[in-house]
Amino acid sequence: MNRNIFVLIVVIIVVFGMLVAARRLKREQASGPTLNGQVKGAPAPDFTLPTIDGKPVKLSDLRGKAVLLNFWATWCGPCKVEIPWFTELQQQYGSQGLVIVGVSMDDDPKKDVPKFEQEMKIDYPVLVGNESVAELYGGVEGLPVTFYIGRDGKIVKKVVGLVSHSEIEDGIKEALAKPSNSSERASSNQHFPAATAVAH
Amino acid sequence: MRPVFAVVLALSFSGVLSAQDTLPLAKVQRVTVAPVSTVQVRPGSSAPVRMTFRVMPGFHINSNKPSSELLIPTAVKFEVPNDISIGKVEYPAGKEYSFSFSPGEKLAVYSGEFAVKALVIATKEAPRGRFRVRGALKYQACDNRACYPPATVPVEFNVSVGKPAPKSVRRNPAQSPHIHK
Repeated sequence: MNRNIFVLIVVIIVVFGMLVAARRLKREQASGPTLNGQVKGAPAPDFTLPTIDGKPVKLSDLRGKAVLLNFWATWCGPCKVEIPWFTELQQQYGSQGLVIVGVSMDDDPKKDVPKFEQEMKIDYPVLVGNESVAELYGGVEGLPVTFYIGRDGKIVKKVVGLVSHSEIEDGIKEALAKPSNSSERASSNQHFPAATAVAH
Repeated sequence: MRPVFAVVLALSFSGVLSAQDTLPLAKVQRVTVAPVSTVQVRPGSSAPVRMTFRVMPGFHINSNKPSSELLIPTAVKFEVPNDISIGKVEYPAGKEYSFSFSPGEKLAVYSGEFAVKALVIATKEAPRGRFRVRGALKYQACDNRACYPPATVPVEFNVSVGKPAPKSVRRNPAQSPHIHK
């Protein structure tokens, strides 16, 4: 009898451990610490997400570039206002090291996004978002949410909701002004493979 | 002891699986529904129902016919008991709205209070009694700067099926007044 109780307790502990591990594993599919509280200056949580056509993209591979990370959805009106500005700003500042990355939070991005991409003439990579990555970035319930990430991989600014073209441009300039950390991956001259794949 | 052990083990593993399926984002309700009056209907006939919704101040939701096919229309769906069905659902027209920074793009939205009307139909065979109709309004809300994921608000009402209509005795069949001229 005592032996059975002991086994039962061990099983409960093991199962509890599995539960905790499963949650952690799920969160770490998008690795790095979750953004809580102070966002400015915090390292941008790393993640790997696929593009609409299935190519994996890792955020940390863009280290050395200034990244505008924009969470959006096709059903989001204000997002639709910003997207042509992003396209224009990518062309304007791309040569200076800007990479704009869209993260679609649509329920079925593979169905909804390609047509939208064509209609809106999006020429920067759009990734298939998920709740884990959204949670890493502090939850993105209201869209759009935009993170400006400096060349050093640290967040310069977080903006929730639609803002003016000039405010977006100011955020980009701020991100571009951040020098890249010399000890970081020297990828500033590398092109973002997914970006080129999607751009065409 | 062994059956207890097995049950605990099974429940624990199901806990692991369900924890992996849960979504972390909390849903905030931006539309509320007013209590709906009981619908009185006779077997073989229909009666209207009016559902009044309120969009929280500062928010708007797409109308049933939004200006773009990419936008999610507001729509109500019902689960009806046997012998009850819902006929045509009528939605109000949306009000014109534009986001700041994009005054040229006009959207058709609901804000404040709006009502959706529908027809409740009882079959000829519907028994007398009270039925519960359950439904949900699907909507997608925005404020003037941001949009929020699609959500649903439950809507429920009672349908009271009365006696069948008495068979009319045709003493004076309806006549056109012209006949008397």
